[in-house]
Amino acid sequence: MIWEVFRQESAGDTYEHVGNVHAPDSELAEQFAEVQHARRMQTNSLWVVPADEISEVGAQDAAFGGRTDKSYRWAMTYNDIDASFAEEVADSEEEQREAARKRREALAEEGDA
Amino acid sequence: MNITEVKENAGPREFGPADDMPEEYRKAATRMIQFHANSEVMGGYLDKEFTRHAPSIDRKLANTAKVQDEIGHAQLLFRAAETLGVKTRDQMLDELAEGEGKFLNCFHYPVDSWYEAPMIDFFVDGGAMRRQATLKSTSWTPYAHAMDKVCFEEGFHVKHGESILRELMQGSKATQERVQETFETWWPRILQFFGPTNDESVHDDFAQSVGLKTTTNDALRNSFLNMYIPKAEKYGLEIPDTPRIYERDDGTMAVREEDLDWDEFWTISKNEYDGSKEQIGSRRRRQEAVEWVRDALDTWESTDSTRMEVAQS
Repeated sequence: MIWEVFRQESAGDTYEHVGNVHAPDSELAEQFAEVQHARRMQTNSLWVVPADEISEVGAQDAAFGGRTDKSYRWAMTYNDIDASFAEEVADSEEEQREAARKRREALAEEGDA
Repeated sequence: MNITEVKENAGPREFGPADDMPEEYRKAATRMIQFHANSEVMGGYLDKEFTRHAPSIDRKLANTAKVQDEIGHAQLLFRAAETLGVKTRDQMLDELAEGEGKFLNCFHYPVDSWYEAPMIDFFVDGGAMRRQATLKSTSWTPYAHAMDKVCFEEGFHVKHGESILRELMQGSKATQERVQETFETWWPRILQFFGPTNDESVHDDFAQSVGLKTTTNDALRNSFLNMYIPKAEKYGLEIPDTPRIYERDDGTMAVREEDLDWDEFWTISKNEYDGSKEQIGSRRRRQEAVEWVRDALDTWESTDSTRMEVAQS
């Protein structure tokens, strides 16, 4: 049986997929995951999940974020407002700008293909 | 996906288990990753000999940690190979035990002295790491993920190897001579580590066209020479006159490949060298010795799932 392993580096971090292990049950899967994926890397916690229990929705199957113009829900649209008055608002706008850029690139690539 | 589409889309970490890959790709990737996994196993088995020979407790500890790393790399790589759906881990381990599984030339030569430790741990591992770094951008994503972890750990192996070389080359005149002698035996093998010239490598073109490989054997060998010859010389090793090394127009170094013993190389690549038989046989006996552990795990798996079915009904 195959078990997928997700590692959390420090408390509070998101879990990241790092690989998978063979094991007959969850107790051994935890032990193997510990030895194979957390022996050297700084690790706070592991999730060990039966591979069969994971389902995936890919970009081919779903229109993530929709396909219509939703510029009204992006901070950058309101650029006559200066966000610099509060650091957290400016940071959020920067994150949104980056996300929008990646999304535009992905859509452009799709258009090319 | 058909092969044409695979070639058009080939790029770093482009394909994974969710993609419908043609058999030709899956077989080529399996061949490559299985070879790599086998090499980690055989390298680990070779390296464990140095724990006995190591002259201090620090070296022994570092060496056992390295062997543990190598076997861990094999585990990761067998999993990455299994994701292609061509062979199971059991099949691949049995093929290795039966002498069908192929692995790197340098691990076909049994070792019996501490002077050989830097040849493997510095030069061979250094060469391997050159290649592995380029494989972080292979097209089969699970393989690339395994390389992230392998390269993270491998830095310690190469630096520890260099530290052993430095220590030995600061030893007595007799020690330095023994290291030089050992280096001369290993040097041609190390140069062959990267495989034959591009035109003689059977699988090179296809592996490159589908993004499994990103760099040619020649390019890897030449970049290895540029980095590791100065290192060897720094510690006082002399590069043997043959095989001839020459400088190319662009200032990079290359080797006259006709100076290398390719008959020995091809015998090794068929697992037919005396050392091949010794190394493969010695690992097979260990695989047989722990068969009861694998059987216990398999039996537990079936009884456990039976229990789960009973509990669910």
